[in-house]
Amino acid sequence: MGNKQTIFTAQQLDAYQDCTYFTRKEILRLFYRYRDLAPQLVPLDYTNHPDVKLPYELIGSMPELKDNPFRQRIAEVFSEDGEGNMTLDDFLDMFSVLSEMAPRDLKAYYAFKIYDFNDDDFICKSDLEKTLNKLTRNELTEDEVKMVCEKVIDEADLDNDGRLSLEDFQHMINRAPDFLSTFHIRI
Amino acid sequence: MSSASELVVGSSRSLLAAKRHRTVRKNSRRIYSAYRDHQQGSSDEEGGDDKEVDSNDPEEMFQNIQYQKEIIANIRSRPWPMRRKLKVLKQAREIVLKYEGQLTRTRGYQTAGADLLKKLYRVLYNIVVTFIPWEVRIKKIESHFGSGVASYFIFLRWLFGINIVLTIMTGSFVVLPELLAGAPFGTTRSKTIPKEHLASAQDLDTIWSLGGYLQYSVLFYGYYGSVRKIGSAGYRLPLAYFLVGMAVFAYSFIILLRKMAKNSRLSLVSASDENFTFCWRVFCAWDYLIGNPEAAECKGAAIVNNIREAIVEEQEKKKDTSLAVLISLRILANILVLLSLAGSIYIIYFVVDRSQKLEQEKPELTLWEKNEVSVVVSLITMIAPSAFELVAQLEMYHPRTSLRFQLARVLVLYLGNLYSLIIALLDKVNSMSSTPHESSSNWTNTSSTISSLSAQVPRISVSEHRNSTMATISTAINFVHNRSSLVIAYNQTIPFEKNARSQQDQCWETYVGQEMLKLSIIDMIFTVASILLIDFIRGLVVRYLSDCCCWDLESKFPEYGEFKIAENVLHLIYNQGMIWMGAFFSPCLPAFNVLKLIGLMYLRSWAVLTCNVPHQQVFRASRSNNFYLAMLLFMLFLCMLPTIFAIVRYRPSEHCGPFSGQEKIYDIISDTVASDFPLWFSKVMSYVTSPVVVLPAVLLLFMLIYYLQAIARSLKFTNNQLRIQLQTERTEDKKKVFQMAAARLQTPEASADKNPDQQESDIPSHEASIHTSSSQQNGSVTNVQSPINHSDSIRTITQSASGADLNEGHVSESVRRPAVIVLPKHQVEPLPNRPRHFIGGQSGSCRSKSCHHMAYNPPSGLSNAIHTDPLYRKTIRSLHPVEAAGIIAAQNYGGRRGPTTRYVIVNEHRPRRKLLCSATRIPRHYLMEEPTEILELYPRNIKHYTPRTNPQHPPRSHTSQQLRKEEEETGKDRKRTSLGKSLRPCSLPDHHQQAHFYIGERLDSFRESQRARNEIQKDDEEEAGKEGVDWGDFNLPSPSQASIKEKVCFHTQRHPVHSPRRQHQSPTRSRHMGSQLKPKLRGQLETHLTESDSASIASSSDQQNSSTDQYIQVIHSKERHLGSDVRQEKVSKKKTKANFDINYTESNDLICSNV
Repeated sequence: MGNKQTIFTAQQLDAYQDCTYFTRKEILRLFYRYRDLAPQLVPLDYTNHPDVKLPYELIGSMPELKDNPFRQRIAEVFSEDGEGNMTLDDFLDMFSVLSEMAPRDLKAYYAFKIYDFNDDDFICKSDLEKTLNKLTRNELTEDEVKMVCEKVIDEADLDNDGRLSLEDFQHMINRAPDFLSTFHIRI
Repeated sequence: MSSASELVVGSSRSLLAAKRHRTVRKNSRRIYSAYRDHQQGSSDEEGGDDKEVDSNDPEEMFQNIQYQKEIIANIRSRPWPMRRKLKVLKQAREIVLKYEGQLTRTRGYQTAGADLLKKLYRVLYNIVVTFIPWEVRIKKIESHFGSGVASYFIFLRWLFGINIVLTIMTGSFVVLPELLAGAPFGTTRSKTIPKEHLASAQDLDTIWSLGGYLQYSVLFYGYYGSVRKIGSAGYRLPLAYFLVGMAVFAYSFIILLRKMAKNSRLSLVSASDENFTFCWRVFCAWDYLIGNPEAAECKGAAIVNNIREAIVEEQEKKKDTSLAVLISLRILANILVLLSLAGSIYIIYFVVDRSQKLEQEKPELTLWEKNEVSVVVSLITMIAPSAFELVAQLEMYHPRTSLRFQLARVLVLYLGNLYSLIIALLDKVNSMSSTPHESSSNWTNTSSTISSLSAQVPRISVSEHRNSTMATISTAINFVHNRSSLVIAYNQTIPFEKNARSQQDQCWETYVGQEMLKLSIIDMIFTVASILLIDFIRGLVVRYLSDCCCWDLESKFPEYGEFKIAENVLHLIYNQGMIWMGAFFSPCLPAFNVLKLIGLMYLRSWAVLTCNVPHQQVFRASRSNNFYLAMLLFMLFLCMLPTIFAIVRYRPSEHCGPFSGQEKIYDIISDTVASDFPLWFSKVMSYVTSPVVVLPAVLLLFMLIYYLQAIARSLKFTNNQLRIQLQTERTEDKKKVFQMAAARLQTPEASADKNPDQQESDIPSHEASIHTSSSQQNGSVTNVQSPINHSDSIRTITQSASGADLNEGHVSESVRRPAVIVLPKHQVEPLPNRPRHFIGGQSGSCRSKSCHHMAYNPPSGLSNAIHTDPLYRKTIRSLHPVEAAGIIAAQNYGGRRGPTTRYVIVNEHRPRRKLLCSATRIPRHYLMEEPTEILELYPRNIKHYTPRTNPQHPPRSHTSQQLRKEEEETGKDRKRTSLGKSLRPCSLPDHHQQAHFYIGERLDSFRESQRARNEIQKDDEEEAGKEGVDWGDFNLPSPSQASIKEKVCFHTQRHPVHSPRRQHQSPTRSRHMGSQLKPKLRGQLETHLTESDSASIASSSDQQNSSTDQYIQVIHSKERHLGSDVRQEKVSKKKTKANFDINYTESNDLICSNV
């Protein structure tokens, strides 16, 4: 316990527990994971809120993320500066959302942001193409990609504006049987 | 810039929050409160204000604490960055700490307990998950071959689980007790191997045919003792045997049905109609859990595979061929299939028959003859499916349908096999269970005759030649005569031995069990062989010989083996069917099956990964999961039937098994009930089983089934209705899109020659007329409408008259709400373009009221402006599904067309019902209202207003204006009482000053709250949009309330409190801006005043710029009025308003910068 106290105050831990889906232990473990990425950068004392950011290169090299085709987007979405450089808070946030306890709506919201590559709050065709190409590692032909994009928009675009809004996305994703189980990182 | 981006982010967030709120609001208070918390986050002052009020109202305090707690509880589910969450959390915590009294102790314990439970559950869950076998293996396969192939293995695993349970059941309740407490091997006749077999009991040959030691072991029914109670504890083994036998079926049924129900629930969730295949394949495809490059590679391949699959499927839909050929082909195919089915059934029956005959004729059977039956059955099960597949190619069905057909056919084949086998066996059983009696009786007769004969040997021998009548006797006599008496003795013993053996052999239950086990074993061997030969060897050959062959082995003839999901799944089902069929007669069959399944799992997965290629067109087998399950259920039922039949129909063997000596197997139950239970119980049982009870029970069951079915039907019906509704909604949507496009085309033209604000297409004007008529029906101020009709000629007069009417309305209705209702109608009038267009003053009369409303409306409009149309639609839908279609239409209009929205504004103030009464679609427009429209409206109002106001003190010579003046003066008093609901005529400078003054005052009084809010200011801004939307949804009456502030009771009405604030927000923002720009603004206003005096609406040139300013002015004046009235009359209300105002001022900063 004493060891833990030096990293966070009890209040901090409490607050983190309230703000994430993690237990105290998990938070500490996440902290160590975070720190392990750059031991020289991250202090062991977080009681006075040091302003530390880890660059995306480090975050993206985590085994949990490094094979994920969307890792860059994930880091960007969850980092406060939008560049993928993460503070501990962002880090906790990210894994909280991706934990299995997070509710569907929250996950859907962030999934939407992840797939919305150009940050315009709509998933448009270019976003879809990017998603597909990342997903399939450019294995699909251009025609196939095009067709899939069209089909996707055709299926999910409820207001026929040719792009998916968050509403559309949630409507669609809430009916997906395996979304919850796949949008999930175990750490 | 940062603030701008912040706003964008905020808006999207609020989108989410609002949406979430709406979707779940109905049933989850939690989310609801979460939404409220958003508000709180934005306006912590409300919390602060609450606090102040709370001090004297414990109820309110309690509520506040609850809110804060909900914030704390739900903060983690907010899509906010951590920093913000922490801040909000801190504040909520502080508040709770401050005000949380003694009441929380028990609650604390409760929550602690709940937490503990949750944690425990989670830990347990995690443990359970780690015990799921072959997860990695299946994942690997999945990543290689997609969900289809994996579904086979998942199914296998599931069957494995079932079999484990069955094994545990039989093992722990039947096998183990028998082994531990039952009579040991060799003690009783049924447990000893007959001497003559002893020598060969260990031969491989015997073991192979499950004879010898195996036959006399716990493997089979015959071994179990019939002692009623065994061991010191008096375990009732026979009873247990029977009950477990039944429980096996019961458990299988239950688990199967549960699984099916779950599956169907899942498939309901992914409703069959809503087809998001591509979406899901794209957005839900990536498994974020994947953490190693190889798996990622596999997953990528799987996704590509999956998407291709979907594309192929999509293309399949478009295929078409000529019908006649197709139908004839299909008929042919079906005939072929039927023929092969009949053939296979005949072959099996023939083989069983033959083996029986052989057994009777030949003393020593060859290995082939012994295993003929099972080998033939296995061969058929192996070969026929491939034949069916060939046939299926004739039919040219969609791959998925053909898969279904294939499955069904193979299932029928398997069933036919099993049935013909079991029928043949039962035939044998029949002969077995009936012959023993006869043969034994025969034998006793003969033996007795022999013995008597032997006693009478001399006599008979003497009279031998005379008595040669009976063949048997004569042979015996010959024996006796030719050999010595020893021979006679020998003769006597032999028959006895033979008889004993036959008695044991006659244990037909064991025989059936043996056959089933044999079948299962042979089946396993064939499976292994086929995997090795057909898949592995073929794979090897294809891979290594393709170079030295004249054609391409890999792509032409032998190819690699495909993994045929359907056949393999069916094979599993068939296998399981055998187990169920034999489980009663061979309690260890499930255990054997467990081993078999484990072996199969490894072998198959190995084979799949090494030498199979994925099916060229893999179709989502997971969807047909329930299909498999249904087949399994079918199988279970059909496999249960023979067992039940045998139990009911045949007499248990006389000398073996737990039920020996009973007339029927199920007698064990009645025996137990009679002997081991108290008397009353058997009595009760006899009553319960009497027709008096059973018949009504059956009837009741039927009734229940019928009722449930009716309910299901009605649900289906409603389901369909809803679906149709959704579809129409969607098509309506599409129509709207076209209309919108048309409108867009129109509007530019209109704007070219008209004022931008007056771009009203024909439709809106129509709607306007509709509205007026509808309002007429509502009837509070009926005469208002007539002026509109005349409008062109007598516009000014009518307008003024309407205004007068309005005032009268006010007079007559001292209560404000009616007045509010009245107002809308007046507003309708100014809206039509033409009147306003030509006569500037005209609109002014109405404006006194309308502008007031406008003042409230803009906030929603402004805040909404950030949002997109879809969102609106959604909110509307969720709120009023019934109206949906019309609403959507309305929305679409609203989105692009300002004019219509105005009418809607009018309607907004009315109660819902009236909205419904009036033209259906229009009501929604207000939601879509664009800020620009509002702004446009305002200028006019102000313009006319200010002139008017000035005139009031120094009257002017304008007929219409005079009228107006009169109205206003008459209405003035009332309006005053109504808290300055309408804009009181005042000089502009006054407005400004007073407004400012108020702001200052409020700031002072609520400095604390301000401070608190400053921290969350950004949040407020972000949420403003969302709240605005929400507000639009449920605060329709609120504008009126806002205007009638007297009535607004802050303590009691929480919503109103929020809503007015929202309403004011944007106005205040602009007001704030106005204050900053004051000098300039005034100048502009002045110019506008002059213009308006000249009664030209054509001031439009700089209208847009000026419009905002004027709008601001209007609000000022309104606020001033509110303020002044309130201040003088009600201090408390002032406070509440002040609250709002503070909010505005706070929020203004950002907005101003944006502007």
